[in-house]
Amino acid sequence: MKKIIAGLALIAVSSVSFAEAPGGPNCGWGNMLLEGKSGTGSHLMASITNGTSGNATFGMTTGTNGCSTSGALTYSGANMVSAIMDEFSEDVARGQGDAMDTVAVIYGVQKQDRETFAKVMHENFAVIFPGENVTADEMMASMEKIMKADSVLSKYIA
Amino acid sequence: MPASKIVSNMFKAFHKMLYSKRLSILTGLLLLPFNGYASGENQQIVDQLVKQAVDNSLWKKSEWLNLLHYNPKGNGYLSQVDDENFFYAEHGKESPQEELTATLKQLFKYAENPNQQTQCRYIARSEWLINQLDIKKSLLPLVNCEEYLEWYEQAGADSITLVFPAYHLNSPSSMFGHTLLRLDKSEISNSEWISFAVNFGADTSSDDASLMYAYRGLAGGYPGLFITEPYFKKIQEYNRIEHRDIWEYRLNLTALETDRLIKHLWELKTINFDYYFFDENCSYRLLELIEVARPGLELTDEFILTAIPVDTVRSIEKAQLIESVKYRPAQVTEIQFLLNELPEDQQDIVLQLSKDFSISTKPEFNLLSPAQQKKIVSISYKYLRYQNAQKSRNPAIVKLSYQLLNLLNSYPAEINIDSSIPPPIFPEQGHKSKRFSMGFGESQDKQYMDIGFKMSFHDLEDNKNGFLQGAQINLGSINLRVKENESLKLERLVLVDIFSLTPRNNFFEPMSWMINTGFERQLTDNQDQLVYQLTGGGLVVVGNI
Repeated sequence: MKKIIAGLALIAVSSVSFAEAPGGPNCGWGNMLLEGKSGTGSHLMASITNGTSGNATFGMTTGTNGCSTSGALTYSGANMVSAIMDEFSEDVARGQGDAMDTVAVIYGVQKQDRETFAKVMHENFAVIFPGENVTADEMMASMEKIMKADSVLSKYIA
Repeated sequence: MPASKIVSNMFKAFHKMLYSKRLSILTGLLLLPFNGYASGENQQIVDQLVKQAVDNSLWKKSEWLNLLHYNPKGNGYLSQVDDENFFYAEHGKESPQEELTATLKQLFKYAENPNQQTQCRYIARSEWLINQLDIKKSLLPLVNCEEYLEWYEQAGADSITLVFPAYHLNSPSSMFGHTLLRLDKSEISNSEWISFAVNFGADTSSDDASLMYAYRGLAGGYPGLFITEPYFKKIQEYNRIEHRDIWEYRLNLTALETDRLIKHLWELKTINFDYYFFDENCSYRLLELIEVARPGLELTDEFILTAIPVDTVRSIEKAQLIESVKYRPAQVTEIQFLLNELPEDQQDIVLQLSKDFSISTKPEFNLLSPAQQKKIVSISYKYLRYQNAQKSRNPAIVKLSYQLLNLLNSYPAEINIDSSIPPPIFPEQGHKSKRFSMGFGESQDKQYMDIGFKMSFHDLEDNKNGFLQGAQINLGSINLRVKENESLKLERLVLVDIFSLTPRNNFFEPMSWMINTGFERQLTDNQDQLVYQLTGGGLVVVGNI
């Protein structure tokens, strides 16, 4: 057991307020790749009640709050894809993962076509994510274009 | 008073009028010409059913008591629901019997809004009553519960999982863990991320200053609500932002039981329960839901003083409700595990690459096999994102992250770099949350006996299996001492005692900290005196604990 204690300071109790998370109360569209989740960190008392502040939801379709629906996905579907954009980009780069499967499920891709979906996404990483500032709607637009052009996946894009 | 408030109050008053006992007959009569349900014949049927229900003491059945959240109080009962909309009878909160009669009568009435029809709004208790009394559906108003069906389309599930995100020392509430339920649809494989997560928490929308906030959270005063959100939000919150491992206990509920739980959940939509941090908290409410699902279970009876999430896991285990367990490590756990798998020189490359992309062109990286390279790039990326998860967007970091992703993409998908992380010891297999202790000793030539009681929850000296390493959390422990020829005295009362000891290394540089406050008997001026003490501090720990 070796233990070196190298400093002593008083505890500072901070109360940083929660920043609105992507897909939160405001419009979830258009958030950016590799966004930090700033402010959502350790707020001393905020989670003491495991609380929610306002806007308590009971269904996943929390209604339209200013965003227009476009593309093949419903508002809530697109909102979800946008909210897991970071995780999805990592899976696309790697070639597989939970976020990849989830996006496939949201697009209605059947089990037998998921492997194709993953493969096509992986091969088109640079098209879907052309740079670090790509937004969620740009990402989805590219994905849908790629799926449309693919013989197996085109049926999932109306 | 803003106009919207006035309108909403008017609406409430109208609603109350509509459902008050005195006026219900009138409402029924008004509707009579249109649907003719309250004919003399039907009135007879209703009366007969009420009699039948009373004769059979239906209201005493545990299913009914559970559905309405009644607990025994004194000689009677009291419902834990703090929302008058939840009851049809005037004294519904205190009287299961009155409430049952009122609900039964209500079943036969038409509501103006079809979705407020008793069979739709309170679908689980309606179904139970209809079943118990064998009521013919044709006698009841025809219903089409549109809102419910729309919701069920999303929430309907065929399996239910109790989710337990493990302890996290930087947030006091989570130090006890938390529990929520997840509703899974097994026909869509790999859709757990978008499953419904059912969370019971306080609605803290009124923004108090944080001290008041903490006080109200502990002492009660916030309305508690069930909310649902997609599960990936919970993964992001716990696994990625709060660095908590998640344990998922799939329950062995039957299809019927699962359905009952979901229907009851619908009844609790926008229904308020007062939230209390220690007992009537997230864990307590979820156990109540499970009791509704499987009648005959008594899961909440054990929790008299506190409902600590890990104890709820124990209680579902004891009730043999667990079908399987899944461990979902936090992002930081994953990174630590993957790093430990690498030889030390490759760990160095990971660290360098997470700061400087040009390392990827150097021979010490290029000479490695593609599989090794892919692993290193993947860990570097994860580590960089972990470091910046709570920071705002920084162009240089974002650029480097993107470069790493691009490089990761250059390796074939077929090179599998997955490792399955072995789960640590299950949290429910750790020691229990309360402790009695006894001891004997000698001080100032006098012998004494100590009696101690600790409410919760873990000491550094306790067996650490199943607990967060290097964490000590106790809220409320008391020590009494009897000395020779003296009466029993309070020796020590610790209100809060938290010690977070986390070692640092090249990759992780956490702060360790402690806080301890309470009363302690000390020898001052040759006299035993009870003094209040508060100690706190932060420190840096290097090496192994």
